[in-house]
Amino acid sequence: MARDHDEAAAEEREGRQAPRRNPDFPVGCDIYPLDEERRGYADWYERDISADFATLAEAHVSLVRVFISWKCFEPQVGQYDDVADERLDALLEAAHAHDMRLIVCFFADDRLAEMNDVTWGKRRDAHTDDYLIQRQTQLVQRVVNRLRTDPAVWAWDLGNEAFLAGFASEADLESWVATMRDAIQEVDADRPILLGCDAETLFRTSGVDPRPAIDIGEYAISHVTAPYRVYAAEGPVTSGPATYLDSFLLRASLRELPVLVDGVGVHALDYSFAEEAAAVRTALFSALMNGASGVMLRRFRDLATEKREPYFRDPFEVLVGVADADGAPKPVMAEVKRFARVAARIDFRRYQAAPSRAAVVIPAERYEPLPSLAGLYDPRACLQAYIAAKEAHVPVAVAREGDDLEALHAVFVPSAAKLSAEMWRELAAFVQGGGSVVLSYGGGDADPAVREIFGVEFLGDHGSRRTFSCRVAQPGMLGELMSFDARLELPHFALLGHGGATVVATDATGSPLLTSNQFGQGTAVFCATPVERAIAQGDPWAAPEEVRSLLRTVYGSVARAAGAAPVLGCDSPDVEVAVFLGEEDDIVLALNHAPVAITATLSSERMVAGVADARGGKPAEVGGKSFGVPLGPNAAAALRLTYA
Amino acid sequence: MPRRSSQVLIAEDLARGGQTGAAVTACYEALAVDDREPFAHCLLAHLMLDGDFYDEAIAEATTAIELDPDCSPAYLALGLAYDRRGGMWDQSVLVWHELAEVVPDLVTAHVQLGEAFAAAQFEEQAVESWQRALELDPTEARATYNLAIAALKHEGMANALPGFRKAGELDPSQDDLFFALLGVSVVPDRPVDPAKVRADRDSRLGAAGLAARADDLFAAAELARLVLDEEPDDADALAIAAYTYLKQEATNEAMACALRALASRPDLPTALYTLGVVYSKRTGLSRHAARVFVALAKAAHTQALSHVLLAEALLGLQRYSQAKKAYATAVRLDPACVRARFGLAAVHLTEGSHAEAEWEIRRAAYYDTKRQGLFWKLYDEYAEGGGE
Repeated sequence: MARDHDEAAAEEREGRQAPRRNPDFPVGCDIYPLDEERRGYADWYERDISADFATLAEAHVSLVRVFISWKCFEPQVGQYDDVADERLDALLEAAHAHDMRLIVCFFADDRLAEMNDVTWGKRRDAHTDDYLIQRQTQLVQRVVNRLRTDPAVWAWDLGNEAFLAGFASEADLESWVATMRDAIQEVDADRPILLGCDAETLFRTSGVDPRPAIDIGEYAISHVTAPYRVYAAEGPVTSGPATYLDSFLLRASLRELPVLVDGVGVHALDYSFAEEAAAVRTALFSALMNGASGVMLRRFRDLATEKREPYFRDPFEVLVGVADADGAPKPVMAEVKRFARVAARIDFRRYQAAPSRAAVVIPAERYEPLPSLAGLYDPRACLQAYIAAKEAHVPVAVAREGDDLEALHAVFVPSAAKLSAEMWRELAAFVQGGGSVVLSYGGGDADPAVREIFGVEFLGDHGSRRTFSCRVAQPGMLGELMSFDARLELPHFALLGHGGATVVATDATGSPLLTSNQFGQGTAVFCATPVERAIAQGDPWAAPEEVRSLLRTVYGSVARAAGAAPVLGCDSPDVEVAVFLGEEDDIVLALNHAPVAITATLSSERMVAGVADARGGKPAEVGGKSFGVPLGPNAAAALRLTYA
Repeated sequence: MPRRSSQVLIAEDLARGGQTGAAVTACYEALAVDDREPFAHCLLAHLMLDGDFYDEAIAEATTAIELDPDCSPAYLALGLAYDRRGGMWDQSVLVWHELAEVVPDLVTAHVQLGEAFAAAQFEEQAVESWQRALELDPTEARATYNLAIAALKHEGMANALPGFRKAGELDPSQDDLFFALLGVSVVPDRPVDPAKVRADRDSRLGAAGLAARADDLFAAAELARLVLDEEPDDADALAIAAYTYLKQEATNEAMACALRALASRPDLPTALYTLGVVYSKRTGLSRHAARVFVALAKAAHTQALSHVLLAEALLGLQRYSQAKKAYATAVRLDPACVRARFGLAAVHLTEGSHAEAEWEIRRAAYYDTKRQGLFWKLYDEYAEGGGE
């Protein structure tokens, strides 16, 4: 709080009013209908909500998502409840009073308020039953009609992930979304519509690929759910892969639509306040640094749970808020406020994020069901590849097999067991045209295209091994690689024969481990073992540093040679750096992913004249090409750079 | 005896051979023939758990139990999946209870039950479960570690340290370190007869190491003595002699031999190990133990346990941040080092990092249970008749 006071005082001294919010990057929060487990569905927003809005407004939060209860609004078929209308009006009043805007979510499940449990529905499936869908349409149109002229409404959200997970097929989901969208647009054609689910996490939960349905809306959502966190990064939330998961899913969601990072916050109440704050800070800054168009915090108040034991954590992850059960802000709220101030200082009309010219490619086999294990292995391997690229400070996107690679200079294809013939053709054309690719062997037979593109003869899979050995044969060719032996279980190792590529490193027996091949105008690097998968399937929190270093060195070296280098260099792998380029100056965000203090040295090609806090204050003179940025554990810094 | 289809037998062979992908495919082929085959679901649960795919493991194990409530390996897989997934402690407690009833002498079930209770904040019941595990097997190191962690939470490090020391002594990995430093990796299948050993230094030392590995301390000491008769300052022989004294609780003699060995070879890892262990056993010498283990960690820097010993000595000196570094190094070198994981958890708890501590304990449990190969033991018992 002292820091907040200092900042405010500095702004006052400078005689200016700092911007409180960024209209292009809203910070929002979900307010759920019930905050106490003992309450029933009829208590839907039956409380004085104004104080909650006031607390959020104080933290510079500008957006609130509220949830419609079908059960409350339509207790009998076709009969709508006036009390529910009044409570919805009260929400709007609170939003007006605090200059905030609402996302109205129609069909959500929070496992408490029974919002979709219409008793007259007689257990018919609300996802597919024609009659219920017709009733849903009526409800949606009624609510939209009442609110369509109200400027406090920012967007319509068709449903949250818990509700949408109930769809059993892509066709059902797409049809339902199209119906709801049409129903809204008949009444309100202007406001954006969104589908409150993350494409990757919903697919993992339900096996339904929601991307076509998401594309029907105007915004996409990225959302780390509790089950997905357990699947992809189950360890501590303030270190290792867990700190990259939010931005990985965000990058994976960034396709055509702007993306809101949803559900920011920890999933369980057993973290300390400090851990909660660190996790939220990391997620917020990750969102800003990786191209999000806004963020939504998971919940305002902690849910007051019943005193039952053993404690059961709600799988719909809506327990932990930014305020305690009494509505008093927790330390994490100060983080939100600080973040909102930083975000408010970045004018996205003046500053453009430095482009990402490299991408991790998620193979299409990821969408294969069991017994193919690719669907389970690939997302984890891709997350590790993404982390390696981040540790190499390569501005990296996440693409999918089949996406257009034209705008990219380098791609990383981690541990894929198979790619489609079309993808091989695309990769060949990409490399021939000057792009660079790093591909690691994922097991099974190698496609004949491997010989053509990578210049290696595949002689078979040597099987698993327990030690990762690297002997550098061509020092400096793929960065400063070191020879080592490390304990890491490798599921496969491709035996490679000579096919024209240069052997950059071998295993302990001299079998090629890393090769580099000039193909057309580009470079194709082959790794003989699924190193990304090996890290992911081992213990990513305790992966041998030598192996991680090898991976980031190769990625970094290939990306730099291909013209996908970062704008600013950084000497600390744990510090993520994002640059927003302006005409006269740049904004630099630095985020420490480690739970220990670090001083990162940032280096630029240009002579840096001065560095100032992005929120204001006097610049410190640099007069050189590099400068140090001290960062506390899981801390972030926002700097304004001017050049000589 | 429950019958297994030929597809299940194929899947079993593949799973035992570590061919996960092929085993999963074979399980699906078995289910295509009969989707009510508990063995196939149980195997799938194990394979999914092995890949850390907890939701899939839970689904398969639950199905196996629904098909046959006596399917004990499915209970094991289900309990482990709940524990590793986290956040489902109530279900986990129920499963471990169930397994402890189905297989009452299964020590790990009681240890896991205690860990599930602890995660659900039932400390008293947790302690009871670990004590029950120790009644069944007084040498159960993991239960002892857990009790030490419980003591740390409630009584502080001073009262927890004896528990950690005791757990360390029970942990077989400590002797493994000495033999790894000595270069003796396997236990000999026949006893070493000193009279039949060739009368040269290297043969005698090699045989002494093998004898010590086989716990034949007298033969080891005799062979070391023969070397020392010819060269009284032979450091390697002195180090083996020191170890044999140490194992017989003759700490003064062990210390004397180790010091003599180090007088001629100050960085001899085996002597450093023995001296450090002797110091750490003696009240008031823990500062010296830390110094010796610093030297050992340098001399044997690729051995995870050398860093663990250093960390434990530092823990005793309340140098938590240094201990944390040493434990972290050990975990990096060997993620399956249960002793390092519990130690790291202890340091995290002293720093108030409860989530990190919880994670380390979960990983320790993961590796310890995996190491025991319990699934296949229960599976084979079940296949032999447990499922009838």
